[in-house]
Amino acid sequence: MSLADFFKQYPNRRYIMYGGKGGLGKTTFSAATAYYLAKKGRRVLVFSVDPQASLSDIFERDIFGQGNVEIMENLFACEVDADKRIQDYQEEIRKKIMSMYGMKKIPEEIESYIKASSAEPAMEESAIFDAVVDIVVKGDFDYYIYDLVPLGHALYYLSMASIYDAWLEKITKLREQMREYDEAIAVMKREEETEEDQIYNELMYIKDRIGTSSKIMTDIAKTAFFFVLTPEEMTIVDTEKAAQLFARYNVPLSGYVVNRVIDRALLNENIPVYLKNRIEMQAEALKIIEETFGSFVLGTVPEFDSEIKGLEIIRNLAEVMFEEKLQ
Amino acid sequence: MITKNSKEIVAMEAKKEEKKKKTTNKKPGGVVGFIRDFTYGMATHGMARHALKTRSSMEHLFILITMGDMLGIPILPPYYSLRLLPHVVPQITTWKRRMLREKDFVESLY
Repeated sequence: MSLADFFKQYPNRRYIMYGGKGGLGKTTFSAATAYYLAKKGRRVLVFSVDPQASLSDIFERDIFGQGNVEIMENLFACEVDADKRIQDYQEEIRKKIMSMYGMKKIPEEIESYIKASSAEPAMEESAIFDAVVDIVVKGDFDYYIYDLVPLGHALYYLSMASIYDAWLEKITKLREQMREYDEAIAVMKREEETEEDQIYNELMYIKDRIGTSSKIMTDIAKTAFFFVLTPEEMTIVDTEKAAQLFARYNVPLSGYVVNRVIDRALLNENIPVYLKNRIEMQAEALKIIEETFGSFVLGTVPEFDSEIKGLEIIRNLAEVMFEEKLQ
Repeated sequence: MITKNSKEIVAMEAKKEEKKKKTTNKKPGGVVGFIRDFTYGMATHGMARHALKTRSSMEHLFILITMGDMLGIPILPPYYSLRLLPHVVPQITTWKRRMLREKDFVESLY
């Protein structure tokens, strides 16, 4: 099967993700896939939550933190500013506290807790995945192409999601127990009604958000996850390991795309020994890829002679990836 | 440890309680009211007190689980905990005082 076949065969898989080690071409493949689908008349949003996001570079436009920017017909791109999102969120919490209790200033100990929270390492991942939920639940695009943060983050979040789930379950139970006490006390004191438990409602909201964000990554009916790799032994080993980990979290692995393959025909020409050796090395690695991943390899993409930047070159790449002339 | 601000919160909370009482606790006055209060004091006041105490222990346990990192006990990333923060602001001061008392705080949980 090829990449083009895949998209034809599974039109319901609207959440597309490319994963892999850093610098292998996740962003370029995301952009090229978005370009291809947009040319096919689908509304596509390609988005990135990486602080070192390179969608701006690849589309040669500054889109960081500017919402959905139209790149061409049907193709939109978005780079989430995670830092700003965290700041806005903290400000929202401050405002809520002040209005709930009619304060002019946040108490010191509360303020220092809010400030300290942004220094926590997991804060950013959580904020990022929460941002993704916001983008995706709107549902106004046919395809969402997720230029994924490096593998570690994604795995970390997936494992977090399951821990969070168990944690929520426990505290929700505790909250329900507290509610029972509230009611019993109200009866004893002959109060007519008890206040609605706001915290319980918040917990339900959190549960829903976490559920949605982990579902985006694990829903086999709607999500396709592709690994990007290059013909190098190290990369193959790492990819295999990562794939096993992802499979454990039920991420629907859909295939592998091999990037940066040097054209073998070059061997017939007068080329330096260095290049000859590289081609031979790649041939070895490609053999291993064939043995390891077999029919799950959906495409091989050659090494380009220039950096992938601008719509012109993205089109060239898309034409190679999907084996089709696009205009 | 009690800052001016936390005093303010306690005052706020007291006000809120008062308001709540006014709206939800309309007891008739006179003889009927007296008898009602009297029997409440005789029969259920102790129980209600005990229930309230348990309830507040639970509240403190809850804050510990959700906001433990305020005491240096990292439990979970605070992104979603922050959402809960506004609702527990009035209890934070008493919670901290209780948790940081010299005796083993695990003991005080239940």
